[in-house]
Amino acid sequence: MHHVMLDHFASGRTPVHRLDPAAKLVAAMAVILATVLVGRDHFLPLVPLAVALAAYHALGRIPLGYAAKRLLMVSPLAVAVAILFPFLEPGAAIGSFSVGGWVIQVTDAGCVRAADLLAKFFLSAWAALLLVSTTRFQDLLQAFQRLRVPRLLVTQLAFMYRYLWVLSDEMMRLRMARAARDGGAGPWRLRFHSRTGLVGVLFLRTYDRAERIYWAMAARGFDGTVRSAATAPMRLADWLFAAAVVAGGAAICLWDRLTYG
Amino acid sequence: MAEPILELADVRYHYPTGPEALRGVTFSVAAGERVGLVGPNGAGKSTLLLAIAGFVQAAGTIRLAGHTLSRRTVRDVRRHLGLVFQDPDDQLFMPRVGDDVAFGPATMGLAAEEVHRRVHEALAAVQLEGFEERAPYHLSVGEKRRAALATVLAMRPQVLAMDEPSANLDPRGRRRLIGLLKGLPGTILVVGHDLDLILDVCGRTVVMDSGRVVADGPAAEVLCDRRLMESHGLELPLSLAARG
Repeated sequence: MHHVMLDHFASGRTPVHRLDPAAKLVAAMAVILATVLVGRDHFLPLVPLAVALAAYHALGRIPLGYAAKRLLMVSPLAVAVAILFPFLEPGAAIGSFSVGGWVIQVTDAGCVRAADLLAKFFLSAWAALLLVSTTRFQDLLQAFQRLRVPRLLVTQLAFMYRYLWVLSDEMMRLRMARAARDGGAGPWRLRFHSRTGLVGVLFLRTYDRAERIYWAMAARGFDGTVRSAATAPMRLADWLFAAAVVAGGAAICLWDRLTYG
Repeated sequence: MAEPILELADVRYHYPTGPEALRGVTFSVAAGERVGLVGPNGAGKSTLLLAIAGFVQAAGTIRLAGHTLSRRTVRDVRRHLGLVFQDPDDQLFMPRVGDDVAFGPATMGLAAEEVHRRVHEALAAVQLEGFEERAPYHLSVGEKRRAALATVLAMRPQVLAMDEPSANLDPRGRRRLIGLLKGLPGTILVVGHDLDLILDVCGRTVVMDSGRVVADGPAAEVLCDRRLMESHGLELPLSLAARG
């Protein structure tokens, strides 16, 4: 049983893949920060950010279809919120329709708000997607460590990444074993009961596994800190990349403030 | 007999919620010896391994590589004991195979180059050269098993102890593992039901049942004793049964 990995294209060999993970992490944070700091309904300052992301995307040779699918997968919440704005935001009516006696108006300001929200969501999600698509997860973890993210949190993320699929395989096996006997049918009361049973069994197995993993770690001398092989230092190109993105983000925010006041 | 590297004297353990798992186990293993530990399910074999590594606090005396196991010496004992667990998914807990093999040596505080050298050596010893960057999740069962073996080989333990090393392996994976084990130097303790593997790899066999040692001797003799095997829920190794 194999799953789609989070960092499917992360093992590429393009110039952006070779950039230092910490530099990329800082750059992605800078892009997201600049995106959310640009004033409400200001679209022009977002254009250079989009151009920069598109250039990075092209350099990293990430397939468009793959990226679009991933972005769609994370978009439901943003779309659900944005879709309400045209009806809720006060402004000049640009159209109306009635549903069962209720007249619903669509406002111009509401449409602009919705577009603004979607644009910002899209740019932020794109930046995050490009980061994980050009950086392997374990390298990202090392970057977190170098940027002084608490060790415990990083270790926890590492375990999650390692065991998420092992656990979901276990769940899949349990469900198959159930389906093999009930054929996916049966009274709902029984099905509900067996589902709670599955969750319980999964919890117990996870607990047991956690103990065995701890033993395996302790057997090899684990004392509370995960030491991994040293990482290569940042090159000049990495510094330049991170500095350029941060400076660009700051310049965009400044431009936004000066132009729109 | 050469100086014993592992000595067990009257080792006893009672699970808090279950029956007595070990009822006075006594035997010793000489340096360089290869011992198979067999017995039916629930005989206490796996518990004995956990007791030797200090994961369950058993009564009696356990000495490994000159250290008598106690709360104070448990780290020294584990440093000399290479314990390979039954499920390689428990053993391989790092995101990359290379990091996992490096875990033991790095925890021992070795220098980066030495860690790197040991990772390379250990992976070569289990025929997994170039697997440093691979994710454990994407390995086959046989590869996982060998990677798990590499994680302890990198620590250069004095005693290698393996719990059911051939479980879930296909015949080819199993043959490959047997070849590897035969080529490894040092003391090896193999626990399991794969009697043919034990006959192939180990010179000596200890049979346990209900928490006790019921037989101990040359593998070819012990494993050929049909009455002994059958009275303890075991059978003759297939290779011997075929000969009649």
